[in-house]
Amino acid sequence: MKTGVAAFLAVLAAGVLGACGSNDTLTVYGASSLKQVLPKFDASPTYSFAGSDVLAQQIENGAPADLFAAASPEYPKLLAAKRICETPVPFASNTLVIIVPSGSTGINSLSDLEVGPSRRLAVGATAVPIGNYTREALASSGAGTVLTRNTVSDEQDAAGIVSKVALGSADAGIAYVTDAKSSDGRVRAVALPASAQPVVTYMACVVVRDGANTTAAKDYLTKLTGPDGQAALKAAGFGPAPSK
Amino acid sequence: MSTRRRNQAFLAACVLAAVVLIAFLAIPLVALVTSVAPGRLPGLLTSPQTLDAVRVTAEANLVADALILLFGTPAAYLIARRSFAGRRALVTLIELPLVLPPAVAGIALIVAFGPNGPFGGALASAGLAIPFTEVAVVLAVTFVAAPFYLRSAISAFAAIDGHCLDAARTLGAGRFRVFRRIALPLSAEGLRSGWALAFARGVGEFGATLVFAGSVAGVTQTLPLAVYAELPVSLDSAIAIGILLLAVSAAILLLSKLPHLWTDSKSQSATSSAI
Repeated sequence: MKTGVAAFLAVLAAGVLGACGSNDTLTVYGASSLKQVLPKFDASPTYSFAGSDVLAQQIENGAPADLFAAASPEYPKLLAAKRICETPVPFASNTLVIIVPSGSTGINSLSDLEVGPSRRLAVGATAVPIGNYTREALASSGAGTVLTRNTVSDEQDAAGIVSKVALGSADAGIAYVTDAKSSDGRVRAVALPASAQPVVTYMACVVVRDGANTTAAKDYLTKLTGPDGQAALKAAGFGPAPSK
Repeated sequence: MSTRRRNQAFLAACVLAAVVLIAFLAIPLVALVTSVAPGRLPGLLTSPQTLDAVRVTAEANLVADALILLFGTPAAYLIARRSFAGRRALVTLIELPLVLPPAVAGIALIVAFGPNGPFGGALASAGLAIPFTEVAVVLAVTFVAAPFYLRSAISAFAAIDGHCLDAARTLGAGRFRVFRRIALPLSAEGLRSGWALAFARGVGEFGATLVFAGSVAGVTQTLPLAVYAELPVSLDSAIAIGILLLAVSAAILLLSKLPHLWTDSKSQSATSSAI
């Protein structure tokens, strides 16, 4: 019954979305963190931005995506294993940082969150990629107490983290450096120790489904991994794709 | 087409419209309730996180509702029974939170009561921060739910025949006595239905709470926030909490209408015979 509901919703969504674009428009499903950069890089496709996990679920249920650009290798690989998309290609990397309101001065390193008064933190929930990376980073730098000694709000996406810090309801958050860059200067990034930095690889894959605009999706991906795409990604704060 | 045929066609069109709309409203609710086997509900609803969310929701809503009744009832009585300059503007102001997108309400609350806001700043320098506390949940619920009660209470108090109140006053009753013995009983039904709507809206409050209070497990994570948090983890748990919320809302709305649930009220039967 659960799959019945999901399939029903997916069909509904597919119907609504399908009615909007003809077959020759390219539809790119992108992770929320790509929202600022992809339309600037190429304005012609139809974009749909959400958490990579949500997008993967939608694509699996038949949503009309042609290309899936995810904030982690996990979901493209999952879809590829189910033959819903072709072999994933890495196209960028991202860096985790602590973000604080731009006017605040109290927090200048990760260790500032391990001592002193209990602070209000906005971090990703365990179920979403940014939350996983955050926990990985804290564990690998032995700073696990950061999430227990402070008051922590579990956010479902980067937007929730950045907005809480930007508006001052949180004293600090852990987000991607690209989120800090796209916050209109309302938040400031504080670097995490290099040893704590997880490898955040962005992977994209061409979706396999009847009626998919495969040619356009492949062209887009080639352009994205080429000089134009890499320059746009770099300008937004992304790093190059890891070589392996 | 004869008048009779036209009348019948019109009636049939109304029935068709009603059937389509009611089915559209009911189908998702039925689908939600039937999408998880009833036997699994107790298991899905007794996780520590969900029980925490039940507690937070109950506490915050009880406090918010007490505040809404305590401040809303006298305010509504005043606005309804007094004429003063700017009354319409004031009523519009009260109604604004009803149409404000909840996320905007949340941002407005942060800007006002967050550590950088005019009120929050003073509190923060005194060592009291509202965001990420249960106080923030109470404020968010009160902000979005109070207008539902106020609107209904103002119409209920305004509908009282002024002569009843005047008569009581001339017979020597004081203002408070008139309020308690005449105004309150005469407007009880309107107050009750307004309170029920406000309570149901408050229990379901999501956007303003998420933005203003955050999603701190055991502190600000209410049931609607728990649904959102469970979505990527376990759709079944999310649906189970959804069913619980639906049941609570239905119970509140039904209770408020209990005396009249199956009997058509007089004004309604007058309308139905007019079609």
